[in-house]
Amino acid sequence: MNHLVLLPILIPFLGAVIALFLMRAPRWQGVWTLGVLGTAVTATSYLLWTVQQTGEPVVYYGGGWMAPFGIAIVGDLLGGLLALMSQVVLLLGTVYALGAKDKNVRYPGFYPLFLMLTTGLTGAFLTGDLFNLFVFTELLVISGTVLTAISDDKYGAEAAYKYFYISLLAAAFLLLANGTLYVSYGTLNLADLAERIAQNPDAPLLTTSIALLMATFMIKSAVFPFHFWQPDFHTAAPTAVSAMLSSVVVKLGVYGFLRMTTLLFVEQAALIQTLLIVLGVIGIFFGGLSAIGTHNVKRMLAYSTLAQIGFILVGIGWGTPLSIAAALVFTVNHSLIKAAMLMLAGFMASRASVKSAAFAVVTGLGKQLPVAGVLFFVGALALAGIPPTSGFISKMLLFNSGVEATQIVVVGLMAVGSLATLIYTMRAFQRIWWEPQVDATIKLKPAGDKLIAPALLIGLVLLLGIWAEPLIQLTDATTVWLGRPDLYITAVLGGG
Amino acid sequence: MELLTALAIGSLFAVGIYQMLRRNVIRSAIGLIILSSAINLFLLSTGAYLGTDPAYDGAANPSDGLPQALILTAIVISMGGLAFVLSLLGVISARYETSNMDEIERLTR
Repeated sequence: MNHLVLLPILIPFLGAVIALFLMRAPRWQGVWTLGVLGTAVTATSYLLWTVQQTGEPVVYYGGGWMAPFGIAIVGDLLGGLLALMSQVVLLLGTVYALGAKDKNVRYPGFYPLFLMLTTGLTGAFLTGDLFNLFVFTELLVISGTVLTAISDDKYGAEAAYKYFYISLLAAAFLLLANGTLYVSYGTLNLADLAERIAQNPDAPLLTTSIALLMATFMIKSAVFPFHFWQPDFHTAAPTAVSAMLSSVVVKLGVYGFLRMTTLLFVEQAALIQTLLIVLGVIGIFFGGLSAIGTHNVKRMLAYSTLAQIGFILVGIGWGTPLSIAAALVFTVNHSLIKAAMLMLAGFMASRASVKSAAFAVVTGLGKQLPVAGVLFFVGALALAGIPPTSGFISKMLLFNSGVEATQIVVVGLMAVGSLATLIYTMRAFQRIWWEPQVDATIKLKPAGDKLIAPALLIGLVLLLGIWAEPLIQLTDATTVWLGRPDLYITAVLGGG
Repeated sequence: MELLTALAIGSLFAVGIYQMLRRNVIRSAIGLIILSSAINLFLLSTGAYLGTDPAYDGAANPSDGLPQALILTAIVISMGGLAFVLSLLGVISARYETSNMDEIERLTR
């Protein structure tokens, strides 16, 4: 039974190995990847369902050694929820890649790398060991970088270099944090660490390790002062990849902050939370204003990720049960919306005779493509938080939790910041689907990427906007679970 | 011994960070290599010097085996990463015909 938690990690991993053998038949490779990810989503849903029904996390001990000594894989509500969210988005990313006209999806390593990205991300969400987290993030980073480096964009290699360099630096920070925590507490198991930190909060290197972990997760989530690599990177990556990186991969940092404030550093959480609120508000304004000032749809959406991550960080920063639940809803919804929007931007670029998502190219091109226009419009409403989309639910919950926490000033700032979202998304819609073409030499290609994946994502966005009850119940249960770190510790250390 | 280790770690960090901040992309990649060595040395100092004997079952005064395992994993990962960095640098310097960071800035337009 405990082996259940291994399935979400092992299925994509073995799938990637087998996909390597299918190198000569890229079409079959794609279909195989779709099947593997479908199976993985089923396994993860079953894991999440089991965890929710029993109220206990599923813990697997590597090699049969008990928790502080062996490596533990812990499938709890938070890890399971985020793993399921990522795998659903990655599944739809494969659907998009199957229908894409890009050269890079024909690259023999594309689908194996895509599955390795899934393995790394799922593993990072489900692991119960800090060093294992480092290993899985490296797996994630290396596959993400190679997927960008094979982009048919001229500057793919430059973007990949920037991302890889900064990610190796983040890995160095994480490794240093591992070292400082190990020398202070003699363990790297998250549950064991949490227990020992609570017993002895005066270790001299504790603040250092908090700072190092903060830096790591800030780089991973592209939080304001560490964001500089992200817009370049997301502009040059292939659409199917950048839609994944900008939606689910940045959530790794969000996961890290949640674990830090609710499990590892509960006593020291106030300091982290204050920092998160400040950085979140700065991120909302910086991201929003930068998105207004861009000349490229993909780049605009990358900056918009910066702002939306800011909203999530503020939710984590308030730290009340309501606001953490709201941040979780926001996390899930933003992943779906952002993936759909980037796919639509990539779709427009694929239909233009010059392959670019710059406004100079795509302005006015949308007149013959009304379906994409409707999808983009709904996505824009969702990003700005207007009913009946899921974006409205997440913003409403977040603002409500802020009012409950009597943080009126921050709520006001956030409301102003979310106006920026409305401005840039509506301006992009107006330019692409309303205004006349600026450059008459740009012609519309007869065929481009397929619209199935973004249509499915937008469908999910609308569904979660109208029927949000199951997701909210799940996040409420997750928040209750996060509020009891002692249960996590006993489940990992004491359970069999 | 402790002073020597501390000095070695400190100077490696200093050199690594200085090289990382240089304008030349190849120098900054070398800085990353030095920095990862500094971190490995730091991990080694977190427990490996506590005992005098190698870590095996029944040793009289065993040293901590975990930091060594961590370093082994970290070395393998950083080797793979650095190999990829160098191959990317090859592509970049062939395409831009320079190794100055300020001239490799075409994405921000």
